[in-house]
Parts: sequence; C-alpha cells; structure tokens
Amino acid sequence: MHNKKEACRNFQRGSCQYGERCKFLHVIQQQPKSNAFGFGTQAISHQQQKPNPFGFGVQNNAQSKGVNDFGNKQSQFKNTWTRSSASSGAPSLRQPDNQPQATNHRCNDPESCKRIIAEDFEHERPLWKLTCYSHWKNSPCDIVGDVSYEELRAAAYDDAKRGLSLQSIIERERNLLNSKLVEFENFLRNPYRGPAGSAAAQQIPFPGATTTVLSPTTQNTVAPQSNVPPSVSSFSQLGASLNTGFSPGPSVQSNNASGQPTSFSNSAQSSNVFSANNVPSANASISTQNFSSSSIQSPAFLNVSLSNSEVVGREATNVQLGNNLPTTVASGDSNIWLKEKWTPGEIPEEAPPDAYV
Amino acid sequence: MSTFGAAAANHNPNKSFEVAQPPSDSVSSLSFSPKANFLIATSWDNQVRCWEISRNGTAVASTPKASITHDQPVLCSTWKDDGMTVFSGGCDKQVKMWPLLSGGQPMTVAMHDAPIKEVAWIPEMNLLATGSWDKTLKYWDTRQSNPVHTQQLPDRCYALTVKYPLMVVGTADRNLIIFNLQNPQNEYKRVTSPLKYQTRCVAAFPDQQGFLVGSIEGRVGVHHLDDGQQGKNFTFKCHRDGSEIYSVNSLNFHPIHHTFATAGSDGAFNFWDKDSKQRLKAMSRCSQPIPCSTFNNDGSIFAYSVCYDWSKGAENHNPSTAKSYIFLHLPQESEVKGKPRVGTSGRK
Repeated sequence: MHNKKEACRNFQRGSCQYGERCKFLHVIQQQPKSNAFGFGTQAISHQQQKPNPFGFGVQNNAQSKGVNDFGNKQSQFKNTWTRSSASSGAPSLRQPDNQPQATNHRCNDPESCKRIIAEDFEHERPLWKLTCYSHWKNSPCDIVGDVSYEELRAAAYDDAKRGLSLQSIIERERNLLNSKLVEFENFLRNPYRGPAGSAAAQQIPFPGATTTVLSPTTQNTVAPQSNVPPSVSSFSQLGASLNTGFSPGPSVQSNNASGQPTSFSNSAQSSNVFSANNVPSANASISTQNFSSSSIQSPAFLNVSLSNSEVVGREATNVQLGNNLPTTVASGDSNIWLKEKWTPGEIPEEAPPDAYV
Repeated sequence: MSTFGAAAANHNPNKSFEVAQPPSDSVSSLSFSPKANFLIATSWDNQVRCWEISRNGTAVASTPKASITHDQPVLCSTWKDDGMTVFSGGCDKQVKMWPLLSGGQPMTVAMHDAPIKEVAWIPEMNLLATGSWDKTLKYWDTRQSNPVHTQQLPDRCYALTVKYPLMVVGTADRNLIIFNLQNPQNEYKRVTSPLKYQTRCVAAFPDQQGFLVGSIEGRVGVHHLDDGQQGKNFTFKCHRDGSEIYSVNSLNFHPIHHTFATAGSDGAFNFWDKDSKQRLKAMSRCSQPIPCSTFNNDGSIFAYSVCYDWSKGAENHNPSTAKSYIFLHLPQESEVKGKPRVGTSGRK
C-alpha cells in the first residue's frame, strides 16, 4: 500500500487524513542521519524541534505490543476501542516497517547506551533515590525495585506504632537508601549490555561477587534479572523491619492469584457486568438507591474477614515488597534465600526459586 | 503586607486562601464534590475531613463540616457522582463509604490485602475501582462484600485515572496499564512509561485520547493511545531547580479548558497547555512540597496542600513542628485558558 518514495509530512506532524490510502510513507522516523545514537531507521530518536527550557521534544513512540488494528484513524476513542476489542487476533499493523521494532530498544550500541546511563546519572538523578530506572524510555527497567513516598512513610508509621524510635526508623531508611545507591553504582559500572526486554529465564552461574563480567554476546535478558537480587536485599531489609516476627525469605504465600481474602462466600451475580461485556441495565436501578437502607453483609461477616485479612494483609505487604521477582530455577546454595541479610559478596545473581517466593 | 513578615510569605507565597482547621498531619489526597463546593481531604492523621467552601465575590471562606476516622492513615478519596457520598481508603486496607450529605455513617465497602492507594468511582458502571499495593485492581458493587472483579496488575498500584471508558493504572517499575472499561477484564494495552524513573501520577485526557504521566524525575509524559497519534507524544521537564530534580506529585486537568496543572515536591504548581506545548503560568514555590491538588467541578477553584510528602525520608519529618496547609487558589482565565500555538505551523 505504500509507495516507497517520500515520508508523509502530515503523518509526522501527528495525523494524516488519508490513513492507509495515503500515497506517502507513514513512517515516523525518516532521517537516519539526525539520529545521534547511530541507531537504524527503526529506532526512536529524540528530535528536539526547537530549544525549549522545558525540554519539549517530539518523541516518536510507536507502541505496538500486540495491539490490534484500530480501524479508521480519525475515529473517536470509543469507536476505536469497540472495534479493536472485538477482534481478538488480527494484529494487522498499519506501519509494519517500523512499528514492531521502534519500541524495542535493543542496546545495539552498548557504548552509546553507557553514555546515556552516565549522563543520566550525572545530570538527571532525581532527589528521590528509591526508584527503578531505565536508560531508554518505553523500555523495561534496568533497575527494579520501586519504593514510593507513601510506602516508605507507611512503613515508618507502622514502625513508630510498634515502638521503634525515630532514630532506628531513620537508620532503616538510610540502609535502604544506601543499598539502592550501591545498586545504581554497580549498574553504572556494569550496565550488562545485551538487549533489555522480557525477563526470560536465564541460567547464570552462581557468582562469588555481585559484579559479574558478562560476555557481550549474551542475548537473553540479563539486565533486569541480574539486578533483581540486590533489590531483594534492600527489600528484605524493609520487609524485615515491617514485621519482626515474620521470617523473611520463605513466606506464607497467602497472596494467591485471586488476591482475595479467604472464606468469602461467592455471590451469584457478581460477574454480571463483566460477562455481559457492557453496562447491564440491571444496575441502572440502583443508581438512586438510598444507601442507608441497603444491606451490605452484616458486621459480623466483616469482623471475621477482617481478622483474616489483617494477618494476610500484613504478610502480604512484606511479601509484596520483598518478592516481586520472576520465578526461575536457581542453582547453587538454596540456603541463601533463608538468610535475613546478605553481605555484598554473597548476593545471588538469580531470582529465588518458587519455594521461596 | 502581612504582619507575619517572612514566615507567612514562605508558606503562602501565592496569597491563596487558607482552609480553616487543616489536618494535623500531611494531606494525602484532595477531592472536590462534582456537584458543589465541598472539599474532602484525607490525611496521615487517619482522618477524612470535609469543608464547605463558599465564595463571596473574590473572597473565599471555608467551613469545617464533618469528619470520619480510619484506623490507619488514609491515602485516597473520591466522591460519588451524585455528590452525596465520599469513598476513602488507605493503610487500613479498606475503603469506607460515607454518605455524608445525608448524615449517614460510614461503612466498609472494599478490602484488599495491602494498603489501598487509589480509589475511583465509575458512574457509567456504578462501580468503585480500587487500586492497592497488593498488585490488584478490584471493582466493587458497594452493596456486595465480594469484588465484582479482581484484575491482576504487574506490580503495586501507584496511580489511577478514569475518564470513561479510558482508565489508566500506573504501577511500580514503570508499568502503565490501559483499560477500556467497556471490556474491563482485559488489559487494552500495557505500556512501559516514557519516563525513566518511578511513576508518580497519571491523568487521562478529558477527550480520552491519551493520558499524562508524571514521575519523580521532574518530568511529565504526554502519551496518546492511537498508533497514528504517536507522533504527538512528548515529554517535558518541570519542577526542577538548577540541579535539583523534584517529583511531579499531581496532575489535574481543568474541567472546562482542558489545560492542566502540575504540582511538585518543590512546592510549586504550574499550569500548562499540552496542545500548544506551553506553560501558561508558574506559581511561586511554597516552603514545603505539594503532595496533592485538585480542581473543583467548574475549574474556578484549585485546591492544593502544602505539607511534607516524605520526599526526603523520615529524617526530615518533625511531628512536633510540622504543619500542613490546604490552600485554595482562584485561577485567572489567563492561567488556565489554552493559548494558540506559538511558532510552528502544524496541522491540528
């Protein structure tokens, strides 16, 4: 459908009324020369169109991960969605030549990636340090293990409630901060070239030290996985202090897939909305209901479930912060997962086995 | 000038109206009623408070109305579309429904396994959506004890925005999950954030064509959903001071003009126009961060709170001297009305 002559200027500005019929190429990236990083035409480039103190720039992000055809381009949001959600398996992409690749930054040029990372760490370090990081927008994280302001604060308030002094809370936070800073340092020194991407299981021999020299030809996703263990260590510290009676490492995995507290009775009509795939008329009548007369399950029920979920919740919180890891088979000493604190030399490179997650 | 001299200017440099009897600990969320000028604030002191805001010409008055208590800090709040009921959730892992305008008592309508970070009422579905650090998003019919649906998220929920039928969930480790609420059981799209650091807040465009995402790195990403509009995506820097990079804590669209405000840990708030890619107004920095902000239903009042957001950890928190404020700013039209594009002649 594309006459491979020129790129369509309208499309590059944001929209072209001809859509598929357009006789110009609908590519986003048209000038490989202007790409400072030396990537091919399929890569994303930062195109600063005019100097702007806020750093406004046009980013060309073609998101295409398994998204279905949108139908007409100028459609309203609703129309687009109804169409695409109806068709489940027809991934006909409109711009096949650049869409699939454009978002998958593959670190083809490790040197320039290293430069990006160095520059980021030099100039773009935010004040909040307990964060994940990716050196390329829209790419998966190179460093995982987000802790948000509210999570840290909730942990501190919990600690304070249990009687910990402000000083020990501050110290716990500082330890967390330091291990995260160490993680960033290690990443800067050894960014694990290789394509960032999906966390496929990769057998990595159990190392003696945290910084492993990996061969540049490693193809699988080394980056996210290798960085996971250090974040686990920082989180097991957070987890350990959240509940002193709870042994980190092997955990009661009560946070099962359904995410629901136990022993709730199933309501027969609970899935009405979702199975019908539209807003059912049955619900229309409740919109003006006076809530003071409606009957939610009796308080007794809530009390029972509260005590259940209280316990579950607590443990789940710890589990959450400590164990958002891909499940892979671990080699080596499995007792490492039972340790409460890791010394830098023994932090395992791979994720804990299922038994410990 | 004020009699307090420098102290007053510091905590209220924008000469906004101060809400009476603010919470005793930091404010975690602010929510205006969709029907009237009732303001709800949730706080780390476990309380949900309501004020009636009244305007007499250019003067603004606030009257404390009522409050309820949770067992633990409250993190999020939202109003039901009828303007009669408030939902609040937080560290006690519950959401309480409070029919405050009819004088009713609060009752628990939702529960999670971990603190509930975000809550949203979806009138088109008559359901409450709750996002939690237990990595799930749950939909609740408030008359039933079980969620109508539980949606697994790749990580802890950090941010949520709903503009029917668009819903965007921001989670830890930079995931952004987009849902079409007409088909809520399937993720419409999963996007990795265009920003490089932790996601802090999201806001859906009023026309549902895309959303904004704010991060801790003083940057906001403007993301369009349609493949054909990806060329319009961009990011911009904000809330930075020299080499100090603060986080963007709140993104709020103006209900009429569709411009938006950002509020950050630097204590400033700004008004922006994404279509012309301009900043409309930069307000003065307050002495403490702004963790949350919101417009009222017609955009005539912008409420923001000035209090510690934990952006520097526990060591900067001094409970004995910490003060939390809630301010009301009346935006002028020039601050929130979109401006024509400057310079480039692009096609709209």
